Amino acid sequence: MRRARGRRRRIADDELDASVLDLVDHVLNKGVVVSGDLMLGLADVDLIYLRLTALLCAADRVTPSEAPASRALPARRARR
Amino acid sequence: MTAALYLYALLGTRPPRGRWRGLRNEPLRFRRIGGVVVAAGSLTAAPAPSAPALRRHDAVVRRLARAVPAVLPMRFGMAVADARTLERLIASRAPALRRALARVKGREQMTLRLFGTGGPAAPRAASRLAAQDGPGTRYLAARHRPWRRAAPVVARLRTGLEGLIRDERVEPSEAPPLLASVYHLVDRGQTRAYRRAVKEIACRLDDIRVVSSGPWAPYAFAPEPGD
Repeated sequence: MRRARGRRRRIADDELDASVLDLVDHVLNKGVVVSGDLMLGLADVDLIYLRLTALLCAADRVTPSEAPASRALPARRARR
Repeated sequence: MTAALYLYALLGTRPPRGRWRGLRNEPLRFRRIGGVVVAAGSLTAAPAPSAPALRRHDAVVRRLARAVPAVLPMRFGMAVADARTLERLIASRAPALRRALARVKGREQMTLRLFGTGGPAAPRAASRLAAQDGPGTRYLAARHRPWRRAAPVVARLRTGLEGLIRDERVEPSEAPPLLASVYHLVDRGQTRAYRRAVKEIACRLDDIRVVSSGPWAPYAFAPEPGD
């Protein structure tokens, strides 16, 4: 019984992780970027401040790749 | 952060009148600029990049997506100083944004993660490289290896899902065991058939596990900055 509970919990944790990772990938790493300012802050302190004109256009978006329709590296890899 | 317009999504049409609220319960305003409707809220402090904030941002986008046929989510954290700046930025990219909205109209995104479940692919080829080539070549070959493993599966999925997918984005991974992420644009209402088809293909794969999620608003089908 305990083992079954442990397994259920692990599956639930896996699902939770997957959903948080999906959320981070989609919401933080994808979506429309305009040439404005990106401000992410914590407790009213700006942690990240990026001029987005070119920074988020990662190299593999603008250079040909063997992978079809290959897309961007995560924004967090952009130079800060 | 002084008061700024926090951007949630670009829409093809205005949503019906209603109580539209943002991630801090601020009222949403809808502005039509160059044939694109921008959904934005006024915030005086930047949202923290936390899981709850990401969920709330996504919830706002999902609610908008249910109300209109075409939605392009903004990336989390996008804010502009004022309406005038917003107008200038959107107007300068309006044709590309309108094309992107037309492409996602009546559609939504499904996401597939391809995970390697066996050992590293082609160890023999790797050792041959190690013997013959320099560190640069070995480094590039190692970076390319996950994609070599994922590419045939991506092609198989594409063939098996023909008729269901309207567009595709593929992002090779450099962080094993994740080999690649595949984003498919599917017609709304087709996600059940899509999941079924993916399951049928995935259960015949030997050493790659396919995890699907969605439907999502079409985050991965936003136009590139240079479009």
